[in-house]
Amino acid sequence: MTEQITRRSFFKTVGSATAVPVALGTPLLAIADATAMEPGDARAPPAAAAATSAPAPAAADTEAPLYLFFNAEEAAFIEAACERLIPADETGPGALEAWVPNYLDKQLGGAWGAGERLYRSGPWQAGTPSQGYQLPFTPAELFHTALRAINLHFASTGKTFAQGTAEEQDAYLKSLETGGADLDGVPSGVFFDSLLKMTIEGYFSDPVYGGNRNMAAWKMIGFPGAYANYYDAIDRHGVKFERAPMSIGEDRHGHVHVDPNIPASL
Amino acid sequence: MPQKLKETDVVIIGVGMTGSIIAKELAAAGYKVVGLERGQPRFTVPDFQSPSVHDELRFDVRKALMQDNTREAVTFRNNSSQTALPIRRWESFLPGTGLGGSHVHWNGQTYRFQANDFELASRTRQRYGAKFLDPDISIQDWGVTYAELEPHYDRFEYLLGTSGKAGNLNGQIQPGGDPFESPRSRGYPTPPMKEHFQGATFRKAATSLGYHPFPQPSSNLSQPYTNPEGVKLNACVFCGFCERYACEHYAKAVPQTIILPVLMRNPNFELRTGCQVQRINLDSTRRKATGVTYIDAAGREFEQPASLVVTTSFALNNVRMLLLSGIGARYDPSTGKGVVGRNYAYQTMSTVASFFGEDFIVNPFMASGASGTLINDFAGDNFDHGGLGFIGGAFIGAVNTNGRPIQYHPVPPGTPAWGKGWKQAVVAHYNHTIMLSLHGSSVSQKQNYLDLDPTYKDAWGQPLLRMTFDFPKNDLRMAEYVTARGVEIGRATGAKQVAGNPRKGPYTITQYQTTHNTGGTIMGSDPKTSVVNKYLQSWSVSNVFVVGASNFPQNASWNPTGTIGALTYWAIDAMKNRYFRNPGPLVSA
Amino acid sequence: MIARGRMTACVRNPPTRILVLGFVATLWSAYAAGGEPVGDATRGAVVAQACAVCHGKLGEGNFPLGYPRLAGQTENYLRKQLEDFVTGRRSNPLMDAITRMYNEQQRADAAAYYASRSAPYAPAGAPADPRLLARGRLLVRTGDEARQLQACANCHGPDGSGEDFAGPCLVGQSATYVVNVLNEWKSGARNNDGGRQMQVVATRLDEKDAAAVAAYAESLGHAK
Repeated sequence: MTEQITRRSFFKTVGSATAVPVALGTPLLAIADATAMEPGDARAPPAAAAATSAPAPAAADTEAPLYLFFNAEEAAFIEAACERLIPADETGPGALEAWVPNYLDKQLGGAWGAGERLYRSGPWQAGTPSQGYQLPFTPAELFHTALRAINLHFASTGKTFAQGTAEEQDAYLKSLETGGADLDGVPSGVFFDSLLKMTIEGYFSDPVYGGNRNMAAWKMIGFPGAYANYYDAIDRHGVKFERAPMSIGEDRHGHVHVDPNIPASL
Repeated sequence: MPQKLKETDVVIIGVGMTGSIIAKELAAAGYKVVGLERGQPRFTVPDFQSPSVHDELRFDVRKALMQDNTREAVTFRNNSSQTALPIRRWESFLPGTGLGGSHVHWNGQTYRFQANDFELASRTRQRYGAKFLDPDISIQDWGVTYAELEPHYDRFEYLLGTSGKAGNLNGQIQPGGDPFESPRSRGYPTPPMKEHFQGATFRKAATSLGYHPFPQPSSNLSQPYTNPEGVKLNACVFCGFCERYACEHYAKAVPQTIILPVLMRNPNFELRTGCQVQRINLDSTRRKATGVTYIDAAGREFEQPASLVVTTSFALNNVRMLLLSGIGARYDPSTGKGVVGRNYAYQTMSTVASFFGEDFIVNPFMASGASGTLINDFAGDNFDHGGLGFIGGAFIGAVNTNGRPIQYHPVPPGTPAWGKGWKQAVVAHYNHTIMLSLHGSSVSQKQNYLDLDPTYKDAWGQPLLRMTFDFPKNDLRMAEYVTARGVEIGRATGAKQVAGNPRKGPYTITQYQTTHNTGGTIMGSDPKTSVVNKYLQSWSVSNVFVVGASNFPQNASWNPTGTIGALTYWAIDAMKNRYFRNPGPLVSA
Repeated sequence: MIARGRMTACVRNPPTRILVLGFVATLWSAYAAGGEPVGDATRGAVVAQACAVCHGKLGEGNFPLGYPRLAGQTENYLRKQLEDFVTGRRSNPLMDAITRMYNEQQRADAAAYYASRSAPYAPAGAPADPRLLARGRLLVRTGDEARQLQACANCHGPDGSGEDFAGPCLVGQSATYVVNVLNEWKSGARNNDGGRQMQVVATRLDEKDAAAVAAYAESLGHAK
């Protein structure tokens, strides 16, 4: 495969200091060059991170996302939850293999998470369902607040979400979806809807944003991507269009350069 | 203290499609024109180039070309008993911004309304009786007829190079076109677009039921074209990134590809971008405008004196501009008095999904914004509404414009919203589904209106526009009826499963349903029930013209752009040949 | 299906012949479904022995004579050009006769063969004027508003590396050939593209801009 998102591109976008959290429990993806941290540590400030070691020698796809927004606990929940929302199966990759948690991490840690394009003035009222989102939280605040409450809940049960069986995890996600719990001010349904929406975005967006790794989701459904001149092909009614998908971020060698910091506004 | 600038002949608020065309015509006629645009300048090269413009997350989901909610939003409530709250993120409708306005990111679907639409109130009474309508419905005649607008529709279509097949040439019905269309004096400037597989499938099914399918009129052109202004457009390549995106190929008719090259060369015209107009200023009589006040991108306030002010800033912003400026009496639904803000309407959208087996390859990503196939058999008043209990209708068509997967991944009803079942359904149906759109009319009713919000403000400290709207029962009954017809067509395609999804109330701002906001500064023949006269001149302030979909007294079954274009040339004709010759009210009140 | 990676564009990391064989049939099921022959690269190698006379032993072209490089070209483009020579939709005195000597299957095979090839790029001649290259790079990647020219990349892929079913690969193509072909589009001698895109583009490229695009395209064969 030539569409490798190389470790170098990560360093390019995140700068030289890297905070590498160690996930609690068993992370579903290996984290290369983990820096030792105490369990329960909050996200380490970048300055405290050790100098980055050389990338681990490549062997299959052992690369893993570098989380800057999610702390270790949050990342563990997000990874497990996203994988239930879009699980791996015979039709194609799951959210983890598609690096969807990485997409969420970069969006929430960027301008979008900080409230880009969101009308943020009060006063605030709950409103009717027709009136849409009416909370003061930015997406970043919404996720941190909800995840804190969720992880506190699991800490009290003695088992993390990630340690549950698939059925247990699904049941919990359903309870978030419809159960109406209050996650420290965030209605669980609002959090769940944001999580699902961003998971689908991370799965199907251009890989330039850090998800849809290797365009595997596009290949699964047959969507050809960003380069799209179909003047001749449209005449072939009913004939499957077989062309490798193409990304905004790919160069003439087929390497996709990830750049999650593209601003929303033109 | 705002800095007062040198007086100009004309100031135009909002340099989108309408503003560009008016500016070009008046500058060419010798008038000094200042165009004030709140957004940024942008051009096909470099701003609209692919691949970066083919970014679904950025343009579809994050809405990069739209008005920034942090600066200007709208508040919304379904009815007056509720408190309106800010639309903190756009979903239902997507107001544009920037040079070229919404016309940069439109889909290119270019329709004419029918003769009946312009006299909807009187013709409905004539055909169905005065008691046919629900009592709250407030539809009105426009004060102008289709026949008066026909040459201006023609001029607009030739400016854009619209691709289509005429259905009625001077009264002669043409095979292959829309037999219901009102007479046109000549055919479209370019031939119809290629039909995609979805359109061809729909065509067969609709024909088998005795309906009259025709190619969707498209301003993403079928072939290279040079318009009467000498500006050239290319052929569309069906890239599937049309609505919400800008066209990299010079193939979509947008101000940059149809008129700005001419406008920008005229020294009579001056474009100022990053300028947020705060209000139209009036003299002490309050019957004459002296110009506008605006704040530039650096926060400096200016007063631009002008003899004539034209507001072309999109329907919703036009209404807000008049309200902020105190031009015309504000509409009050509790008394029924006042005019500015009344007759706000929208579009009543339904869908039908037809699911096929995995050997039926649709390739939804190959599409133009306007390369569909549709029927008008159930649009407008093209069918007998006797006994049906509603007026209006919808065009029904296979008019899908894209296969962009974040937002387009149709699944049958009953599919779980997530998990393995969702994913498998997405894979099974993504490339094997035909979506039909039912694009329905929107009557105005007394309770639906626009005014200024008492609480929420924009970034300049001015009150936001407040929208009070819910679907009239008339339109929901219409949606049920046309959706049932759409399901019949879906079944006639041989699909394995057909699911109709008629629009239901209450109206919600959380789901996209077109940016066809109409009304609020409606045109008419009576100043007690309209804001502008038939020439789009304010009844109250004769040197203010208002042009846009805010002029529509109610909305018809088709996209508004073609009719806005016709009104634009109609108003230009009135300004040049009537108003400037004898400034003052063109119609006696 | 897409395990050929960048196969459908200019060959970037060319797979081995074995991989090619394995995936050709799946990749071009489009053609089978449309009732047309599926190209086979191994059979195509035999056909290509005749093409080598002008197009080089490895399909690298003959740049002094302006014979185009075929190695790593997008498969569908190659197929279409061969068919167009046969039907007369495109005309070249040499190619018209040559293509008619083969049947549709053989032509499909030849296209599959060349699409799968990687070949070294012709050695750089005298270095092109950097300003010409810069102009070419701008036109390929961004375009020119004053001339109403969109970026070549829109249809030809990133840096002109090909967008199958749309624009052929330009990377490392003979500058002489590119200029000749642009002149054919301009004069109308060639008009076998969809929507007249290339006629419009070629008309808006003056002699200098055509040379710039061509020089940039050829230079990409040597660039990193």
